[in-house]
Amino acid sequence: MKDLMRIKCLISEDIETLLNQQIKKEAHSSSLYLSMASWCNQNGYDFSSDYFTKQSEEERMHQLKLFKYVLDMGGNAISPEVTGIKTDFAGFREVFEDALEAEIAITQSFKNLASRCLKEQDFVTMEFLNWFLKEQREEEYKARRALELFEVIGEEGTGRWEIDKHVNDITYSED
Amino acid sequence: MEKACIDINQLINVFSNYEGAVYQSDKLNCFYVDFGGKFARYNCLSLQKLKKVVEEIDIEALLLNTHRADFELVTFNGCEHVYLLNALEIIALKDLLHGTFTMFNLNHIVNDCLYRLVY
Repeated sequence: MKDLMRIKCLISEDIETLLNQQIKKEAHSSSLYLSMASWCNQNGYDFSSDYFTKQSEEERMHQLKLFKYVLDMGGNAISPEVTGIKTDFAGFREVFEDALEAEIAITQSFKNLASRCLKEQDFVTMEFLNWFLKEQREEEYKARRALELFEVIGEEGTGRWEIDKHVNDITYSED
Repeated sequence: MEKACIDINQLINVFSNYEGAVYQSDKLNCFYVDFGGKFARYNCLSLQKLKKVVEEIDIEALLLNTHRADFELVTFNGCEHVYLLNALEIIALKDLLHGTFTMFNLNHIVNDCLYRLVY
């Protein structure tokens, strides 16, 4: 009997479902960052607004990369419905705390996906995921460093103005 | 599609239960679902969609809801077949499709072991 399902698609049903869930999570992150950009802009934190807009674009790019992979492998990529985006934040610091929490959740999700790939011996998808795992190092680093600015500079006086000014300077280098 | 139009001997029985059967045609690269008085043709994608739609039906909610009959219309966009099924038939169709996809996985492992990994 021909292995018709395998002929049609490289990835298993379970991996396809997890990848589609990941697409949704990336879309959610992208929208959340845009919401953060909006809040920052309205509260006078222009540099942070730019920072979160860029982050939003990056998450969107991640979403499309996953989307293309599912389609290229013969799977059914699902355009996600994104709801329940937080639009109001208690303060400047909370925005960055939420950003770090979102990145940690994304990293955990990729780890689960990678674990499933290893279990199924889907080394093709595992190799594809390596790019994202590496990317998460940078994403988490940047989010953590941004939050650390609150400790280093402090929020008193012109502290928040200083923090906002330095957010865009955060870069990650492997070397 | 009527069963009489298809040469059943050319089809491979993938999985059967007490209510129906799923066949595979290696010649046409498609599947036939013999269920609920229908002998319907599906390709890979549409069979996966059918499974998803059937799996998403909440049997418990269907049985506990006293405001409606325990019938469900089973179809999806782009599907030319419609099934009107009661709770027992839905359970049978769930079982049939679950068994079918388990057999696909088994067939995949067998193909890997017998042909793809042995040269």
